[in-house]
Amino acid sequence: MLTELLQRISYLFRRRRFDDDLDAELQFHLDARADELVAGGMTRPAALVQARREFGSSARMQEETRSAWQFGWVEDLASDLRYAARGFKRNPAFAATAIACLALGIGANTTMFSVAAEALFSKPSVREPQTIRSLRVGGISHLPMADYRFLRDAQVFDGLAGEHEDQHANWRIGDATYRLFAIRVSDNYFDVTGTPLTMGRGIATGEHDTAVVSWRFWNERLGGDPMVLGRKLILDGRPHTITGVLTRKHRTMFGAGISPDLYLPANDTIRMSLFARIRPGVSDAEIRSRLIAAAQELDRISPARDKRAGRIRIGEVEGLGRLRSQPEFLPIAAFFGMLMIVVSLVLVIASANVASLLLARASSRSQEMAVRLSIGAGRGRLVRQLLAETLLLGLCGAAAGLLINLFATSWLSNIHLPLPIPIRLDVQPDWRLLGYATLVAIGSSLVAGLAPAINSARAGLSATLKRGERQTAGGWNLRNGLVAGQIAVSIVLLSAGFLFLRNVSEASGMNPGFDVDHTVWASMRLVPEQYDSRDRVAALIDTALARLRGTPGVDAAAIVRVVPLNDEMDAATTIRVDGGNAVRAEWYQNDVSPDYFRTMQIPLVAGRDFRPNERGIVIVNENFARTLFGDTNPLGHTIDSDPLGKVEVIGVARNSSYFTLADRNALAVYRPYRPEAAGGQAAVLHFLARAAGRPEPITGAIRHTLDRLDPTSAIEVRPMNQALTMALLPSRAGALVLGSAGALGLSLAAVGLYGVLLYTVSRRIREIGLRVALGATPAAILRLVLRHSMGLVGAGTAVGLAIAAVAVRPLAAYLVPGVSPGDPLNFAVVAGVLFLVALAATAAPALRALRIDPLTALRHD
Amino acid sequence: MGERNTPELLPGTLYMLILRTLAGGPLHGYAIVKRVKEASREGIAIEDGSLYPALNRMMVKGWLKAEWGISENNRKARFYCLTPAGRKQLEQEAADFDRMVRAIQLVMRTA
Repeated sequence: MLTELLQRISYLFRRRRFDDDLDAELQFHLDARADELVAGGMTRPAALVQARREFGSSARMQEETRSAWQFGWVEDLASDLRYAARGFKRNPAFAATAIACLALGIGANTTMFSVAAEALFSKPSVREPQTIRSLRVGGISHLPMADYRFLRDAQVFDGLAGEHEDQHANWRIGDATYRLFAIRVSDNYFDVTGTPLTMGRGIATGEHDTAVVSWRFWNERLGGDPMVLGRKLILDGRPHTITGVLTRKHRTMFGAGISPDLYLPANDTIRMSLFARIRPGVSDAEIRSRLIAAAQELDRISPARDKRAGRIRIGEVEGLGRLRSQPEFLPIAAFFGMLMIVVSLVLVIASANVASLLLARASSRSQEMAVRLSIGAGRGRLVRQLLAETLLLGLCGAAAGLLINLFATSWLSNIHLPLPIPIRLDVQPDWRLLGYATLVAIGSSLVAGLAPAINSARAGLSATLKRGERQTAGGWNLRNGLVAGQIAVSIVLLSAGFLFLRNVSEASGMNPGFDVDHTVWASMRLVPEQYDSRDRVAALIDTALARLRGTPGVDAAAIVRVVPLNDEMDAATTIRVDGGNAVRAEWYQNDVSPDYFRTMQIPLVAGRDFRPNERGIVIVNENFARTLFGDTNPLGHTIDSDPLGKVEVIGVARNSSYFTLADRNALAVYRPYRPEAAGGQAAVLHFLARAAGRPEPITGAIRHTLDRLDPTSAIEVRPMNQALTMALLPSRAGALVLGSAGALGLSLAAVGLYGVLLYTVSRRIREIGLRVALGATPAAILRLVLRHSMGLVGAGTAVGLAIAAVAVRPLAAYLVPGVSPGDPLNFAVVAGVLFLVALAATAAPALRALRIDPLTALRHD
Repeated sequence: MGERNTPELLPGTLYMLILRTLAGGPLHGYAIVKRVKEASREGIAIEDGSLYPALNRMMVKGWLKAEWGISENNRKARFYCLTPAGRKQLEQEAADFDRMVRAIQLVMRTA
């Protein structure tokens, strides 16, 4: 068997010589026979003729001889593909349209796949990720440093590293200070994980003031300096030595596109999430039991409120395993799942277009098929030929789709999302993508090509050459069905896209309940080490507010714990009013300084604002007052709950937005701002200032004022309306993706409708000509085409609306209250848009039908 | 396989006949046809059209090798000779054939 295979392969490389040899051998055979005949007394020319006649068909002999060496199907496929390519060259419009449809579908699909793969399944840049496990002990994601050290020294693993991925550092360079995103790691982190570096080394054991910078930071902020190792960065007021540069494709252990500027050693105050290197072959159950033993020991030595030996979770750090061990990723996975369905629908529409094109082509080629069948081609052979054409289309479509993918992903990679954490999806093409694209291309082209192939082979078999226009009645139904299906799918996509579009406009126009047009948000990250005493923070805040109020152009200034719409501030527990029964309630809770309400232009409907240094009092919003006090005036009453303590209500503020723009019914409680809560690790101060005019001109002055107070702090100043982008991001992303998918689907469906109508008209030229000759008016002809078009649109729309009405219902979770998925207006608009587009697609075929001249038409073949 | 044997040739015996003919030494295609014809006293005629496909199939199987040489009347010709695998195949097929013929004869005489 092996010799045979090798022989056949060697043949592939000497095909040309083989044919020459065979010719020479044939010639020799004929000459030898002729020699013999001449010796028997024949003339040479007669002898040669005789020899040739005796030999029989030399062409068949050569064909059979050659086939002895060939791999039957491979060569057949190659010749089928060659033939298909020649066919496409003859009909480039068909090939280009089909390839463009597939390319758009595959491009959209692979792009979504790339983004989802990067967001959900990126492999951390570590040595042998399969022997690394993420650990969660006592149900806590980040353990105190002391607990981490205990577990590390318990020798349960080959190595136990810790990291905290949401950290910052102030980088002082020249006169400016920038806030950098850092991952702080235990000093054995680089040893345990084996993170690859472009140059230098990782953070070593016992080191404090060293840093490993990211490739991007090195290139964009340090100018790609080749001598960067050993260079000092002033971080949080202390010089740090750069020991290494990460690789360009570095992925963090956490994944999800988080891309820090640098890795820094963690100090004692930082909590660590744990990553263990395990010995290969050790089962997770075994690790668990050993980890539980160590945690029990820890519980015994230093008891904590929550037992650490309970709620232990061991998860993988790559692929599906990571997804399974991090339930917080599930909503993201569901989101991407939804998007994958959407782009798959686009691909379905594209495939239907290609199928429809192939059907049209097949029925116009039925004569060719009939001829080929009658001269002896097998039916299977014809089907194979047609499938080869589809395969070629699929491969070209996949190649073009991958090009689209490359452009789209490089564009997406450069998008900087306005999020509080640095997320960059550095999407790179890889073998998964290639495999996926090939799979999608072959799958979609098979789906698109199989029905037309079988159909035309069947039609071709019975189609005699004189059978006229009506021969492909079966194909008609299929083609019409495909177009109606496309329209239905477009309706579903458009309905979802339109919902998100309305959501964006509704949300953008939504009044958050505070003024965003004249407010400036200045955040100031302090170096934690320089504010070890609470008095220093309090003094800084007092001075800062005083100076801000004195800055020209500033009307009012305040400080706030959480800037609305930009972070969580929820609380839920039981609450007592005036020492009465405990009621369960959920509310948002924020800490604000005096003048906050004036700065944000949130009216106080009752009571008064806070005064400096007040404690034990709160201001509530109207919802809170109505829910807990009903019609009684809440002023002067006390409320008592765990996070607030026993406090007196001194004011009622108008309802506004807190966490999302849609917080119309949310309860909220404001406490006086407490500087002592601002110190420590999360020492970011959020100042708000009210500008007398436009906010942009005073941002520079505000930055300058704050910078002069503490040059080591990192200051970011932006107008409040920019801060709203975060709140609008989900709606915008949904509108962008679903809207463009819907538009893409609609345009593909329009092309499909246009193709079918044009094809119908061209097949019915004789019939239409006859009608005109018999006195049909142009209006009657127009009705003929329109009836067909609107029949398809009507059927597709009806089915599409029925599906959409159900399919968009789960989207309600993403929408603001003003937008309802069941709103008939949505469907009416979508159907109207589709109707207009369909009318446009009908125009050209209708004109074509009107221009048919009965004289030429009746002579038409 | 698609090859068409002459009516005179028992199916499946073409390879064996070629192998046996080449056992005496290398021959070119035309000589193989002639040798078989002579040896069978004109009883077997290998069709020219099926000889070369058969020779090539046997080469693919590794039983034969082919080399260019000069024929007895000074023409360039392709000579085929047995490989060790071909020699083994010949022994195998000859033995099988003998057994089959003897068995058929037994049946024809006794039945």
